[in-house]
Amino acid sequence: MEKMLRSKKAILFFEAPALLLFTLILFVPIINDIWLSFCNYDAINPAVFCGVENFVAIFKDPVFVNAVKNTIFFMLFSLLTQQICGLLLAAILHNFKWGKNVYKNIIYLPNVLSSAALALLFCFLLKPKMGLNALLAMVGIKGPNWLMSVKGYLPLTLWVIGIVSLWIYVGSTMMLYMAGIAGIDQSLFEAAYIDGASRKQTFFRITLPLLKPMTKTTVSLTCIGSLKFFDLVYNMTQSGPNNKTQTIATWLYKQGFQFFKYGYASAMSVVLLILCLVTTLIVNVSINTKEFEG
Amino acid sequence: MSMKKAMSVLLTAALASSMLVGCGSSASTGTAAATSAAAAATSTAAATSAAAATSAAAAATSAAASGDVKELTWMFWDDLDTSTDLITQLYKKNIDRFNAENNGYHVTAITTSLDDYYTKLNALIAANQAPDMITLSPGTYMDVYQQSAEIQPLNSYLDANADWKNSFSSGMMDGSTYDGQIYGIPTNFAAACCYYNKDMFTKAGITEVPADWDTFVADCDKLKAAGFTPITCSESTAWCLSMIAGYCMNRNGVDYDKLNAGTAHWTDDNVLSGINDMVTLTKYFQDTALGDSNDQATANFYNEQAAILVQGSWAIAQMNGANSDIQSKCGVFSFPTKDGSAGDMIVKCDNISMMSTTKNPEGVIKFMQTFTDDTAQKATVEECGKLPVTNVQYDASKAPSQCQDITNILKNIKGSIGFYNEQVYNTEAGDLFDNTMVSVAMGDMTPEDGQKALEDWYTANAWK
Repeated sequence: MEKMLRSKKAILFFEAPALLLFTLILFVPIINDIWLSFCNYDAINPAVFCGVENFVAIFKDPVFVNAVKNTIFFMLFSLLTQQICGLLLAAILHNFKWGKNVYKNIIYLPNVLSSAALALLFCFLLKPKMGLNALLAMVGIKGPNWLMSVKGYLPLTLWVIGIVSLWIYVGSTMMLYMAGIAGIDQSLFEAAYIDGASRKQTFFRITLPLLKPMTKTTVSLTCIGSLKFFDLVYNMTQSGPNNKTQTIATWLYKQGFQFFKYGYASAMSVVLLILCLVTTLIVNVSINTKEFEG
Repeated sequence: MSMKKAMSVLLTAALASSMLVGCGSSASTGTAAATSAAAAATSTAAATSAAAATSAAAAATSAAASGDVKELTWMFWDDLDTSTDLITQLYKKNIDRFNAENNGYHVTAITTSLDDYYTKLNALIAANQAPDMITLSPGTYMDVYQQSAEIQPLNSYLDANADWKNSFSSGMMDGSTYDGQIYGIPTNFAAACCYYNKDMFTKAGITEVPADWDTFVADCDKLKAAGFTPITCSESTAWCLSMIAGYCMNRNGVDYDKLNAGTAHWTDDNVLSGINDMVTLTKYFQDTALGDSNDQATANFYNEQAAILVQGSWAIAQMNGANSDIQSKCGVFSFPTKDGSAGDMIVKCDNISMMSTTKNPEGVIKFMQTFTDDTAQKATVEECGKLPVTNVQYDASKAPSQCQDITNILKNIKGSIGFYNEQVYNTEAGDLFDNTMVSVAMGDMTPEDGQKALEDWYTANAWK
């Protein structure tokens, strides 16, 4: 076997199917997408090259600018809340002697359910006459219009979607941190306790620094996931009212699949791709994990 | 060890052969073309659509293989097997009847949700797997396929069959006619009217339905004073509000053709009056209009929590089905005009159009005739509560009472107009109109700002 794996032909033979598949389903569409972003294309008539017209148009499009703002809001909100809550939950649950798995599964459960179904569930819970508002009405409080609010630079609806997103996805961040904490050598904690360190000190001096590689992973996953944010917005508000909750992904979908402006939508997807790459680069540069590698 | 090796060889062979089987079936049904087209559309949805097309094509192949029957495909925006929509159920019966006729053709329906309908259709066209016929509403969507010559004119087929042509009520094909060429055969139509609760009107002291705008507003005040919610409407389902806005625009003389051509402007005074009238009516909506869905708003009416519902006649079956008492309590009146004269009525048609690429035009015509024969048209009104497109004689006692009311109103209207989003420049303009009206109704935008938003979009996109 070892002899076979030393042969370059054998390596190529084993890699070829994956490479071919990867090229066909990823690189070819990306290249095609980049080409279409420079064209006017409606899927019925042939694509017509239009230069950078689509890119100029999207940056003049007020809905796109608003969608970028909302997408960045979701990214920052998710980043902050999921990192803090995920890490805290992981640290707390790690120290549970009994029932750790039960709580872990309960918190992780929304992650394995369909986000579209959960979005519809929250739609019902946040309707004006039922759910949360009905409960508030019982104590004499008139609840706000959770999903149709437009007041302010960041309307209430954006925060509501952000909180639902936190509830759904915090479980995966928590699991990753729990895996990270479990991987820390217990002897480090024992040595610290012998030296008289408190739990708080061990958390900040041992746990947190040694979780840096995992932090890098969760931050990257959260950022990229938030930049592509689509399902909750599409199912809870349909990006409304009046595009107030539009994100890049939902606006891209609407332009492509409802207005048949595939060229324009492709230009937006190229911008989204660049945003994802830049974000990943920033995360990689800003969180240095070299000292933990090798 | 040798057993393990033998097992792994066997499993590898099984895996490889299963992949080849997949390739074989794909090749025979033209998946390769579909896949490449889907990639061209750069989307997962397009790929899914192409895959669905493959399955439809596979079904067609197997059916065709069973005899000399020629296979036809028809694309529709609802699931024929699971939908609770009565008109969809009737369409399924029509197809079964057509397939049972032994007329040399067999139809397979390619179905999808309304949201994915045009995406899937475009993917099929791009993959050279366009169906033989499609369902279309007149207006912006039909414009797209007519202008790109994806659908073909039907005049020669209609002229060759005078009885069929003359069976249609007058004006039924106006919406699908371009320069005298007819591009769609209507199968049923719905009219948008005001449904009212007779009991609530009586309790509020209203003896006659309002014929003009001022009386309409005064009646809303009377209903409010009597403790009723005058109008129920969904603002979160934007088209519901936009339908009312469309009527308000029409009653103030807004002409969409002129707006599209650039000879009238969104900043004109009559547009402002139309928007202001819509805002006036929003004050009579239920408190939760902003968050209620269309179904909830309709339920407010049939559960007798609101006095008036402005809705298309497609809602009749839903209302009567949900509350059997409502039929006897529900009356219908036309959306009032400013001066009390007969006004236009918003109507919406389902049409079947023939694709240019079909190899079986005669079969397509036979299919269209099945959908418009007396059996289908009688069932349209008697079973589904929609209105027939032909001059068929139907049993009024079997049809919902509201249908008869609408038929009577239609005898006196000035003319018919399309749904607002079928009249504006394109689907994007329709979306902007929806959003603008919701924003104005919510108070997030002034009517003047709304006008400016529409004017700016038209300047940049329609009038350039």
